[in-house]
Amino acid sequence: MKILISFLIAVAISYASDATIEVIKKVDSLPTLAVEDSSVSFNNKFKMKFFKSLVADLNVISLFNVDRSYRTVDYDASEVSYENKEMNYVLRYKLKKDDNGALNIELKILSKDDIVFSKNYKVNNPKIYMFVSHTIAYDINKFMGEEPVEWMKRKVIFSRIIAPKKSELVIADYTLTYQHVIVKGGFNIFPKWANKAQDSFYYTSLDEKIPTLKHVNIKTARSKIIKSSDGMMICSDVSSDGKKLLLTMAPKGQPDIYLYDVNSRKTKKLTKYGGIDVSGQFVNKEKIVFVSDRLGYPNIFSKGVNSHSVEQMVYYGKSNVACSAFGEYIVYKSRESSNVFSTNTFNLHLISTETDFIRRLTAVGVNEFPRFSIDGDAIIFIKNYKAQSSIGIIRLNHNKNYLFPLKYGKVQSIDW
Amino acid sequence: MNSFVISGVVAALLVLSGCSSKEPVVEESVQSPQEVSVEKVAPVETETVSSSEASVMSEDTSNASSSSSGSMSSIEDGMSTIYFDFDKFNIRADMENRIVNDAGVANGAASSFSLKLEGNCDEWGSDEYNFALGLRRANTVKKSLIAEGVDANRITMVSYGESNPTCSIKSENCWSKNRRVDFKLLP
Repeated sequence: MKILISFLIAVAISYASDATIEVIKKVDSLPTLAVEDSSVSFNNKFKMKFFKSLVADLNVISLFNVDRSYRTVDYDASEVSYENKEMNYVLRYKLKKDDNGALNIELKILSKDDIVFSKNYKVNNPKIYMFVSHTIAYDINKFMGEEPVEWMKRKVIFSRIIAPKKSELVIADYTLTYQHVIVKGGFNIFPKWANKAQDSFYYTSLDEKIPTLKHVNIKTARSKIIKSSDGMMICSDVSSDGKKLLLTMAPKGQPDIYLYDVNSRKTKKLTKYGGIDVSGQFVNKEKIVFVSDRLGYPNIFSKGVNSHSVEQMVYYGKSNVACSAFGEYIVYKSRESSNVFSTNTFNLHLISTETDFIRRLTAVGVNEFPRFSIDGDAIIFIKNYKAQSSIGIIRLNHNKNYLFPLKYGKVQSIDW
Repeated sequence: MNSFVISGVVAALLVLSGCSSKEPVVEESVQSPQEVSVEKVAPVETETVSSSEASVMSEDTSNASSSSSGSMSSIEDGMSTIYFDFDKFNIRADMENRIVNDAGVANGAASSFSLKLEGNCDEWGSDEYNFALGLRRANTVKKSLIAEGVDANRITMVSYGESNPTCSIKSENCWSKNRRVDFKLLP
């Protein structure tokens, strides 16, 4: 039996190395985990909010079959709740407010009545409890020996359309539970983090005479103008070291991709086709992928930063209008139908540039703006379906999608 | 034009400072490790999840149109929106008279102003490509105006993609109203 299980795990791992192949993990095969609350402070509403956030995060790490039952037990009780006796793991935590109003959390994981993991957490402002919850899930994922889910702790920035030509730029956690409007008023879109530290960002302002790219340092609140262009001015991507930008500009009504050097402020035109070239994304310092209609319909192409030759990257779909790249993988948005009289479907597909596999990642609605996480472990995207705008997370190697709905407005673009 | 006023404070740059040294640390854990009363467990780490205060930018939202003179907006009213067919960027036959009229206004009553052409699309997504389609419509109108004698240097363009609908019902009639180019006058 052990040999069989080892063999199955080995097969699963070997397939999991190619993200374009779906790995179906049966829910039953995951270890069970229950959560017990031992809190001594805070009201029931807050306790329940924290519990729900933690259970959601534990689900997203996709390592456990998480029991959603809310149970309370004394933190120092030597045994788990009677109902949780059969669980592989029991996570027990205690929320406690200290004299300064800070939220302190003691946490341990029990397995067969032994403590296998424990850690304490503290946050001065209990209102940002969701970030503690994400951090706990991050730690447990690491404890279980999985690759770090760095993206879980990162911030998301998105633009929300609240009325025609009116938008807000919002900083949030990946579940949108925490939201802070960082730029209010006006028509500002396409926010993009300026660096890995996420302490500043770029965005397009459409309130000026011509579209203008601005940069905001969120620690000093300083805003500066980077560049303007007639027609279009969008920061499509930032290099991993933050020193180069891929811009879409249209100084003569012709959208093309430009490379912008942050330090020297010099601009280099990368595409020269007479149609539409937009959405440049760095594959690495030397290569980009982008969207172009040079074949008569929008599709995904690549080219070197210092070369003129252009290569078609995607051979499936006749209307592929957005993409994101990570290593050998490209995720792109494809129009599934083109009918003026019906609702249209846009799905996300994943391809590997080294194999012929294509994997469809979404099924219904308008799915767009795919962005790989910083570690390539997950894809974030916008889903608009039945008048509901949500942010979605796809765990590629776990074959799971999670949706986090927006309470109001419509997400225009997103970065994390 | 609109100017940004950097006003308030209080926002949240949320930085998770970890005991591991990977993330940008804003506030280091100040608590010394505590012992848990179970022998098998190593000293418990304490991770401080902190929120550093950043600033909010708020914009002066007094928009250009409200500050523009009454004559400017009344001239704008005299210019006709140009509508487009589904997935098309050419000037329809029934829109040609509008172009002639708009060019006449541009070189007549509006001759002392700049023209901003605003390209719009129906609900085809919010990605850059859709903005490029809106721009292509604006560019078609620009070329037509130039052909009618309007000075190219007076014309600027912007695309709003699908973010500026005049109609939000899911019907073809409604979508057709969103595939358009509007005119705005700039001082």
